[in-house]
Amino acid sequence: MNLPPERISMEELDLLCERRRASGASLPAYVGPLRRHVAEGDRRLLRLQYDASPAAMRLWSFLLTEEERLHAARAAGVKIVGTMKDLGTVPVLAYALPNVVAFYPDGAWWTPCLMELSDGLFRIAQLLGFGEAFCPVRAMLGAFVNRAHFPIPDLLTCSAGAVCDDFSAIAQCVESLGHPILWWEIPHRRPPEPDETAVELPGGFSAPASQVAFVRSELDRVRSALEVLAGAPLGASELAAGVAQANRVRRSLAELRRLAYTTEACPMPALEMLIAEMLAIHFCSDQAETIRVLADLTEEVRRRVKEKHGVLAEDAARVFWVNPVADLRVMNLLEDCGGRLAGTEFLFSHALDPIPEDLPPMEALARMALADPMVGPSTDRAARIVRDARAFRAEAVLVSRIPGASHCALEGAVIARVVREELAIPVVEMEVPPVADSMMPTLRSQLEALVETVLERRKR
Amino acid sequence: MIGAGIDAGSRALKVVLFDQERGRTVASAVRDQGTDHDRLACELLEELLRDEGLPRERVARIVATGYGRRAVSVADATVTEITCHAVGVRHHVPDAATIVEIGGQDSKLLHLNPDGTVRDFAMNDRCAAGTGRFLEVVASRLGAGLDSLGDLARAADTPAPISSMCVVFAETEIIGLLASGARRENIVAGVQTAIASRVAAMLGRDVVLPVIFTGGVALVPGMAQALASALAAPVRVCPQPQMTGAVGAALIACRQASA
Repeated sequence: MNLPPERISMEELDLLCERRRASGASLPAYVGPLRRHVAEGDRRLLRLQYDASPAAMRLWSFLLTEEERLHAARAAGVKIVGTMKDLGTVPVLAYALPNVVAFYPDGAWWTPCLMELSDGLFRIAQLLGFGEAFCPVRAMLGAFVNRAHFPIPDLLTCSAGAVCDDFSAIAQCVESLGHPILWWEIPHRRPPEPDETAVELPGGFSAPASQVAFVRSELDRVRSALEVLAGAPLGASELAAGVAQANRVRRSLAELRRLAYTTEACPMPALEMLIAEMLAIHFCSDQAETIRVLADLTEEVRRRVKEKHGVLAEDAARVFWVNPVADLRVMNLLEDCGGRLAGTEFLFSHALDPIPEDLPPMEALARMALADPMVGPSTDRAARIVRDARAFRAEAVLVSRIPGASHCALEGAVIARVVREELAIPVVEMEVPPVADSMMPTLRSQLEALVETVLERRKR
Repeated sequence: MIGAGIDAGSRALKVVLFDQERGRTVASAVRDQGTDHDRLACELLEELLRDEGLPRERVARIVATGYGRRAVSVADATVTEITCHAVGVRHHVPDAATIVEIGGQDSKLLHLNPDGTVRDFAMNDRCAAGTGRFLEVVASRLGAGLDSLGDLARAADTPAPISSMCVVFAETEIIGLLASGARRENIVAGVQTAIASRVAAMLGRDVVLPVIFTGGVALVPGMAQALASALAAPVRVCPQPQMTGAVGAALIACRQASA
């Protein structure tokens, strides 16, 4: 079925889903109308605009059924690992083991937005002393307390060290609630001194060999804990296969991003691209299915590119987006205002780079972990943004701040300065709260003004 | 040809009629904002046309801007206040490089390219601490009129230290200051300093001269000086600062009609 690309409502997407089922199309069991999730409380879905494709339908169903998958895994005796403050490292180890799934408890930060605050997760966090001044990741506390979302993991890991203070405080609270955590340390990445051996990291950065060795030793501890949990050793060949499998996800996303962000007629809306990219860090609790979901989406994008079918006006302003947003409507809003995505840096660009397969796997994972944009200086992150924005021919950079999130409270200014110096394109910072309803007119003004600025620049 | 600009701001609605051939504003009006932006905009536009003896057909195009721009049904197009202020200020001050606009509910900083187009911008998007709303709160708390704040500030000897983080918090501070016997004049000067500090923090070190101050708050005596102190740079107040958004919208209306 080749549908013309367009953005549609949830009701229309559900209709598409029902027609696909009625036509006898073979669909995974989890694919179904999104209204079932609205019935469960995800009311925000009613107000989003979706890509009109079976591939997007599958993507959304996959995303929204993660908790069901985790509960099913628990019922089947599969071991569950919660990998906190981990943007794509420990899940690679976990999925290399049989009978283990990893998920990202931090992802609960989207739940209050999807449920328009009706779930009370922030309220529980508030009672524990984590109010609005804290990063929205505090929603995770509520999920650990009310147990209404993900099952309590069999093993919890969390990185510490060069991570934001808010998160450390929240994770310590999780532990104080009776959920033991295996902490592993990640140091602040620094350039090697002249007398130190330099190691090249994915993403074009470098670090002293001593830092890489330290991270590798920390990851070895995590690996041992995972082996105990799984009751099976994680051999070199299994680990190499796990790395190769993670790289399949990363390569698929790299191709999707290349097509989506470089093609003149935008072939995939911003919202679906945000969701797709998020799959890189934790695979939505099913790595194999992630690969299939991304393959579907990439195939749809390829078809549109070939047929020159875009989802937006061809003159849409090309905006490079920095940091994820909790209120997903803002991704729709960018397009409503005449913009489109031309590159992203959702805080985990390192998880989109292939893990080196020509190195011992633990060494490769240590290097990848150290390449995390959040553990290095903001200028490193800005340099990566400049490089990617240039490659995707972005005409503006938008830094969306997350209230209370300390890792992005000040680095916006650094990013703005570096981008202006290097690319001389407009940079705008804007704050997007988890439920942005009251802010929509202001956010619209800022996005429209950014688009106007870009269009005016084209005339010069 | 006449272009009309309507700036539906959060506190006031402004209308400007601009004559492109003569290169000047032929009429303008301001009215306090109500709940019905659309009706007020239509009424004010019709009133201006009637007063000037201009038939509606003489207006080639109408552009609406400001917070309530999308509600103005009489407009042919909408343009954001960022773009309109840039155009409006450059009309009055052709060499403007940095614009500080402080309105009733938000404040904006614009950096302009040498040709007058917007390089980039920033908005104070959450708290009213850097906006005219702060002045309204303090005027109400002190039982003073908005138009008397300038005189009060001028009579200050030592501006009171007041938080620039949060209006609600600052109001509590003001109550405390009053209770401790602080002079009203020093409190007003302290509030002006707090607003200016907030705006200066948004601007950071990216100050390119000349800095032009516009928006309704630029009409408040003492604010430009407070801003200049906070920025450690000279600040010029734009002519007719409350009207620059509407002037810009009218100029853009003329350009669009000619295109």
